[in-house]
Amino acid sequence: MMRKASPSRLVIGLLGVVALIAGLWAGLILLKLEIPSPRPDFKEIHGPLMVLGFFGTLIALERAVALGNRMGYLAPISAGLGGFSLAFGLPIKLGQTLLLLGGIGLFCLYIKSGQRQSSLHLGVMAVGAIIWIAAVIAWIAGRDVVLLVPFLAGFVILTIAGERLELARVIRVTSIARRQFIIAIGIFTLGIAITLIELSPGVRIAGLGLIALAAWLAKNDVARRTVHQFGLTRYMAISLLLGYAWLATAGILWLSFATLSDGRAFDAIIHSVFLGFVMSMVFAHAPVIVPAVFRTPLPYQKRFYVHLYLLHISLLIRLIGGDLAGDRICWQIGGILNEVAVLGFIASSGIAAYQGRKTASSIKVQKAHANVWES
Amino acid sequence: MQPSKSDIKSVEKSSIIELLYQVIDPEVGINIVDLGLLREVSVTVDGVVEIKMTLTTPTCPLGPYIIEEIQQTLESVASITDVNVTVVWEPPWNPESDMSDQAKHILGWN
Repeated sequence: MMRKASPSRLVIGLLGVVALIAGLWAGLILLKLEIPSPRPDFKEIHGPLMVLGFFGTLIALERAVALGNRMGYLAPISAGLGGFSLAFGLPIKLGQTLLLLGGIGLFCLYIKSGQRQSSLHLGVMAVGAIIWIAAVIAWIAGRDVVLLVPFLAGFVILTIAGERLELARVIRVTSIARRQFIIAIGIFTLGIAITLIELSPGVRIAGLGLIALAAWLAKNDVARRTVHQFGLTRYMAISLLLGYAWLATAGILWLSFATLSDGRAFDAIIHSVFLGFVMSMVFAHAPVIVPAVFRTPLPYQKRFYVHLYLLHISLLIRLIGGDLAGDRICWQIGGILNEVAVLGFIASSGIAAYQGRKTASSIKVQKAHANVWES
Repeated sequence: MQPSKSDIKSVEKSSIIELLYQVIDPEVGINIVDLGLLREVSVTVDGVVEIKMTLTTPTCPLGPYIIEEIQQTLESVASITDVNVTVVWEPPWNPESDMSDQAKHILGWN
């Protein structure tokens, strides 16, 4: 029997979804589509909304649930309210401060977890939280949002990399493999720090780190083996492997173009990471994270492949047809379909959760009937 | 001869572990028994199951999911009245010593 859904966690999750929707709206404006903008500067907060408001809130919520400490929920609440505040045009300082508190809260969650069991992977994720904090401090200090991109990428990549390192233990990570992982992460993090002083060299070094990390994941991640299984496990593995291919692509793009100036190369640099890699990870883990966090079943369904493949195909259209070939229509169609894939994922998950809850209630009724007959 | 109460409990305990083979960690596609996450399983005569288990890490996002799966799997059995799962962190999960040979084989250790 599934426990009752948690309304407070659902509200926090909803704050994340509000940031996602607002971020997608800003994304459409950035695609130069003629749609209304709530405020002149709305499109500029696309990145912080998507990465900190949506992904940051959900990661912090996931960690708070795993830790099981009530105070821990302050982290996702702050991040969620920060995204909400940005989305609805409240004073920017308020949104930034709340996001800063969210990052600090997430770091504290890692410290608390480390007190239970310290480990390298927890340390890597904690560095990810520090990069989140650094990004918001730089933003508050007046740094242009575009220049925060390496930091936003740093937060998500270190978070995910830490998780994958933890899981790689099931296929026996040798001490050499651990060293290789530390080197890859070290190069990437160093590159991000260097962007504060010299942008292009920093992006290039971070790009090298991304390539090294993608190679490490391709060699050591459990997805290489689980892709031969079936059902949800296979779906997750395929999503992960597609994500790693995009991570390698991103590394090559970061290394080759090393620019954060508006344009085709920049579009490819950011979306290979955030859509190709990060969103694919989100799609992969939703069927297990949603039940864990919101206490609502999300049974795996084959149709999950629709939004997964749509995401990757539309990203190819955007990057090859749009960014590489310079076709504006391809770029816009690819971009719109990227958003359709993300919304399709939300809708598909919502339908699966509704159906899962109905099935769980019917099992409960059947068991109650069985108990009546037995007594 | 009638089995003693402790015999009944031990039979039930082995059936419970059999059932727990159905609880799969979806990320690795291996059940929690072969992964070595179970630390202690006991059952009272009135059908209350007490499970002590560990997770691969304190931040394991799958923890609450796996606990729900355990409860869902066991509570579908009419003779089980309640299922209490406690997560323990000592001793920490160690893939080398905790995973079964079967799991290691599937994950390519040999």
